[in-house]
Formats: sequence, structure tokens, C-alpha cells
Amino acid sequence: MTQGNLYAPYLMRVDEVVEETVDTRTLKLSFKDPEVAAKFDFKAGQFGEYSVFGAGECTFCIASAPTRKGYIECSFKKVGRVTAAMRELNVGDTMGFRGPYGNSFPLDKMAGKSLVFIAGGIGLAPVRCVIQNALDLRDKFKDITIIYGARSVGDLVYKRELDEWAKRPDVKLWQTVDPGGETKEWKGQIGFVPNVVEKAHPMALNAFAVVCGPPIMIKFTLPVLAKLGFKDDAIYTTLENRMKCGIGKCGRCNIGPVYVCKDGPVFNAAEIKKLPPEF
Amino acid sequence: MTRQMFISESALKSLAEELVKAGTRLVGPARERNGDLVYREASDLGEIELGGDPPTRSLKEFFLPPTEVLLTYRQKQGDVEVTPAPHVFAPLVVIGARPCDAAAVAAVDKVMDWDYHDELWFGRRLATTIVSVACGGGDASCFCTAVGLAPDSAKGSDVLLVPVEGGFHAEILTEKGEALVKAHAARFTEGGKAEAAKAYRDAARGKVQANLSADPAKIRAFLEAGFDHPIWKGIALRCHGCGACAFVCPTCHCFDIVDEPDSIERGTRRRNWDTCQAAKFTLHGSGHNPRNEQNCRIRQRMMHKFAIYPARFGEILCTGCGRCIRVCPGGMDLLETLDKLGRLPAGAPAEAKRGAP
Ligand SMILES: Cc1cc2nc3c(=O)[nH]c(=O)nc-3n(C[C@H](O)[C@H](O)[C@H](O)COP(=O)(O)OP(=O)(O)OC[C@H]3O[C@@H](n4cnc5c(N)ncnc54)[C@H](O)[C@@H]3O)c2cc1C
Ligand code: SF4
Ligand code: SF4
Ligand code: FES
Repeated sequence: MTQGNLYAPYLMRVDEVVEETVDTRTLKLSFKDPEVAAKFDFKAGQFGEYSVFGAGECTFCIASAPTRKGYIECSFKKVGRVTAAMRELNVGDTMGFRGPYGNSFPLDKMAGKSLVFIAGGIGLAPVRCVIQNALDLRDKFKDITIIYGARSVGDLVYKRELDEWAKRPDVKLWQTVDPGGETKEWKGQIGFVPNVVEKAHPMALNAFAVVCGPPIMIKFTLPVLAKLGFKDDAIYTTLENRMKCGIGKCGRCNIGPVYVCKDGPVFNAAEIKKLPPEF
Repeated sequence: MTRQMFISESALKSLAEELVKAGTRLVGPARERNGDLVYREASDLGEIELGGDPPTRSLKEFFLPPTEVLLTYRQKQGDVEVTPAPHVFAPLVVIGARPCDAAAVAAVDKVMDWDYHDELWFGRRLATTIVSVACGGGDASCFCTAVGLAPDSAKGSDVLLVPVEGGFHAEILTEKGEALVKAHAARFTEGGKAEAAKAYRDAARGKVQANLSADPAKIRAFLEAGFDHPIWKGIALRCHGCGACAFVCPTCHCFDIVDEPDSIERGTRRRNWDTCQAAKFTLHGSGHNPRNEQNCRIRQRMMHKFAIYPARFGEILCTGCGRCIRVCPGGMDLLETLDKLGRLPAGAPAEAKRGAP
């Protein structure tokens, strides 16, 4: 008799490996058990504990949208033990996945409104989930603006999708790279994300912003959004405090009174301002 | 309703014999060869010390072992087979638990049942009956009475024994306690010795109360508003970040999850005790560390125990057992710190700046 427990993962097959940048890859995964595959559902913004057997578990958002059934994707940067093992995986290999965990972006509240997505570097991963979700339900939203930046052209992730979004008439896409990060062929902006946000000048009226990226980018983007008229409760982001259990037991993800894995990872700027600066 | 009974010393010894004979694991405070008093399996009540010194380690390890298998895996050519660890456990009876240690287990129950029911924790909880013995008042590091408990608290125990002339006044507190009494009915006599027990209980309470009289509500109010208070700047000067305080603590329950391969083909995934006092506990992959100084980590420990957990689960995550004080190589003294915090007014003084720990 097999008895499951909270920490036993689902088994997933690696269906596709996409080289995004020098140190970032996207894995497309599907559940090996068709019953699990049929039942599995999640919400944009939720995360999971992904594992390579023998290396361990680590936390990634689900980077694909719940509207795209039958698979999930995760995009990861190689920084340590598990992510190094994940880089060794090939199509056909098996991974573990526990989840979905955590709260999600309030898509119900965002319906009927304009959306402004602002991301830096691999911070596009959690934002891309919401973008895909919103594009799959395009009629439900007004204007969609995407502002995405990376250090250099080589650091941009999801290039195929950026090209797709650029072509869509119902999406305004601004791409930028830091000064010095451009190539001869680069046709996008050159400059830091906060400056490009200012230039793009998205309307704050009846709009929500979703911001994700390095702490420094978020720090300088928030005042720009405030200047444009975005209220703190209309600006959403997702936090990446180190996690282990993902389900409120291991005590790792506390920020003051908040358990990021249970109360988050999605918070609005008003909620974040109430937290002690431990993220 | 609590049933009151009496059990003589010799009857308790016979009860323990019956348990062991039936194949039930018997655990209680017993000496190691080096003289340490710890909770360990015993074959006879004679090995168990009912009263006296507080055991050096708590009961926590019987529910959350220092290292525990979550699952085993086997893999071959990309295919993996996972076997989750079973969560049905053999029956175990603890005799001689300190009431503070029983109370600790009940406090941790809350987080282990928070939306996700931790089968491994509760599998062990379900298999275990806790018979506590009211404590005589511990030592100078004990402060259970300052955190809402007492040397004779019933919380978390299935049966509470209070030493009286010739044996124990027994309070049967839960269904598990009733089941134990029923299985050994001949060992108990109806009607307790509440009167005789009272003098012992009062004396023990008085002894602990003399150690610390802080008000947990006041301390919580300070912690909730005093994140930037200058007291946190120097709080950890004596702390080495070794985590010993957390490991001996009956309520600290932080853990890590790691894989331990035996070979390329197979291995185990385990959870191991971890602690918020370790520098790497919160280290991000980017190298950024939100709690990059020991002061922040000590503040986190204080906040988690006396503000965060109480706000979330209605329980103080400290039983006043005093172990962290006895074990600390740097001489950090929680009793002293609580006394200090309890005297500070809530809220940060005006000159304190956010983000300057
Ligand atoms: C909700 C959430 C969502 C997330 N989403 C994503 C995502 O979509 N994509 C993504 O890439 N990340 C994401 N992260 C971050 C991700 O969880 C971590 O990057 C990941 O857990 C790192 O795991 P690891 O085992 O590879 O690192 P570990 O081995 O645990 O490394 C941890 C630390 O040790 C250091 N370290 C590791 N190896 C060495 C070494 N050899 N020498 C010196 N130091 C070393 C690293 O610098 C790092 O600071 C997310 C985190 C959270 C909480
Ligand atoms: S308080 Fe003492 S026991 Fe705890 S981590 Fe610091 S030095 Fe170690
Ligand atoms: S914090 Fe110290 S006194 Fe409180 S329960 Fe833990 S070890 Fe005991
Ligand atoms: S990740 Fe374990 S408590 Fe949040």
C-alpha cells in the first residue's frame, strides 16, 4: 500500500527544453499520471516545489498560464545545486513537482480594466503567466501594455513570445536594455526600466500594474507609477523569499507577520509597505 | 470532563510493565551513560525519573525527528519511482513528560495542521499517549508561568499526574487518556487526591513565578511595533548563530528538505531540523540575504515566538522551559531579554530608522 504524504511530489516528464539565455532555461513539463493531468489546475501567480531526484527541491513560479492546459512551464536561472542539476535534464527525463501553492494575481478584480506589465530580467517569468492568461481572455481586458527590460539583448528571456507580442495590434510592447547592452540590430529602447515606464506613460485610470524584477528595479519603478497616478492597491508584485516547504510549516519564508508561501507570493504595494524590510 | 483518580507508585510501575509486555514503546526522562537526562525509550519504569531536573532535550524529536525520511526514490534511464514514507506508527506511551514539553507539542500541532495536514507529524501524535508529571518548579531558568503555563499545566497531556503521598493524583484529560486507564483499569482507584495535590501545585507555581513576571501581551505589543527599536542593534552581540537554542527548543519547528542519494539510482528525500539562527537560512540564490545580521535573526526568533505565532495561531511559541538559556554557549538569556522587553514602552522611539537593524 502506498500512502502519500504532503511532501511526495507528482512525477513530470520534460517535454521541451528551451535555451533562453546563457544561464536561463525554460522546461515544459507534463504530468506522467493522466489522472493527475486531468485534475490539475492552478491560478496565475502560484508557485510549486520542483525537484530533481538526488539534487533536491527548489521553488519556481509556474511560468505558463492556467488557460493553457496539459502542461506547465518553469524558467530558471542556474544559481546553485538544484538549478545546476536542472540544467542537465533532457527531453524525456523525469522531475518532481509539488503544488500549486500560494495565492494568485486577482484576475477577477482586474477584469474590465487596463493592464500594465513591468518586468526586468527573469522577473518576466511570473509576469508572463499573467500576460498569457490575460491574452487568452483578451476580451475581458482593456489596454494591455508590456514593458520589459534586461541588462543586455542576450539577457532577454522568452524572445519568441516577445516577437509575437510585438506583432499583436492589441498589445503595446516596450522592450529595453541597459545602456551598453544593445547590439547593432537592436530596435528597442536603451535605458533602465523605470525611465521607460515614464516614457511609455501608461494611464493609471482603471488600470492595474504588475511589476516583477530585481529589487532595485522595483524600488525605482514604484515612485514612477505613483507619479503616473497608480494607487498602491493597484500595483501588484510577487516576492521570492527563500522557501522549502511551500505550505507554511518550515518557517523559512516569514517577513514579519507574513508567511510568503501562504499569504503570498503575490502582494500589492500597499501590503508590501506594511512589511518590515526583510525581503 | 476531567476524571480524577489515584495511582500508587507500584501500580504505575506495573502499568509500565504491562505496556512493555504488550509491545508498546515506553519513553520517559532517563539518564544517558554520560549522565544527561533525556527522553528515551526505557524497558522499565525504574529507568525513568519522574520529577527532578528538566531533561536536556525536549519531546519534540518524537514527533519531528532531527532527521526524517519523507520519501525514497529509485531512478533508471529517466524513469523514477517514488515511495512516500509511511505515516502509521507503532503505539508509544510517554510517562513522565514535563507539562511544558506536552504543551509545546500542542502548540506546534496548530502549524502542522494549518490548511495542510502534516501526516508524518500527526501519525506520530496519533500513536502517542502523553502522561505528564506535574513539575516541582524546575530551576532558575524556568519561566512557564510568565507565558501562560504552569508547572502543572494540563495542555497537551492525555493524563496529568501530580505527586502525592504514596503515588499520584491522576487527571484523565483526553480520550487517549481514558483509553489508557481503561486498558489498565486495575491500576487506578476512583477519586483523586486533589486536596493533597494542591499544596504541591501551589508550591511549584510560586517557585517558578519568582523567576520572571513579564506580561506576554505587553511583550507582543512591543514586538509588533518595535521592529526598528535600537535594542535590536546590540541584541545578538553574544550570539554565535550556532542554533543550539532552536534545536533544544520544544517549539522551534523549522526544517530543511534535502535529497541524500545513496547512488545514482536511489536515495532518500529527508527533512532535517534547521534554524532561523543560521546565516544561510534566508539566503537567496542571487546572494541577497534579507536577514544578513545575527541581530535580525535573533529579532526574528523573538518575533516568531512572541508576536507572529500568537497572532496567527493564538499560542505563544515558547513554554518557558528555559532550555535555550541553559544551552547557549554565548550566555544569551531569554528570561533576561523578556524581562527587558516587558519594561520597554511599545513602539519605536522617534530617532529609530526603518531598515537599520
Ligand atoms: C515563489 C518563488 C518563485 C520563484 N520563481 C523563480 C523563477 O521563476 N525562476 C528562477 O530562476 N528562480 C525563481 N525563484 C528563486 C529560486 O527558488 C532559487 O533560485 C532556487 O531555489 C535556487 O535553488 P538552488 O538549489 O539551485 O540553489 P542553492 O544551491 O540552494 O543555492 C542557494 C545559495 O547558495 C549559493 N550557492 C550555491 N552553490 C554555490 C557554490 N557552488 N558556491 C558558492 N555559493 C553557492 C547560491 O549563491 C545561493 O545564494 C523563485 C523563488 C520563490 C520563493
Ligand atoms: S542564542 Fe546561543 S544557542 Fe542560540 S544561536 Fe545564538 S549562540 Fe547559539
Ligand atoms: S524559546 Fe527557550 S524557553 Fe522558550 S520554549 Fe524554546 S527553549 Fe524553552
Ligand atoms: S516556505 Fe516553509 S513556511 Fe513558507
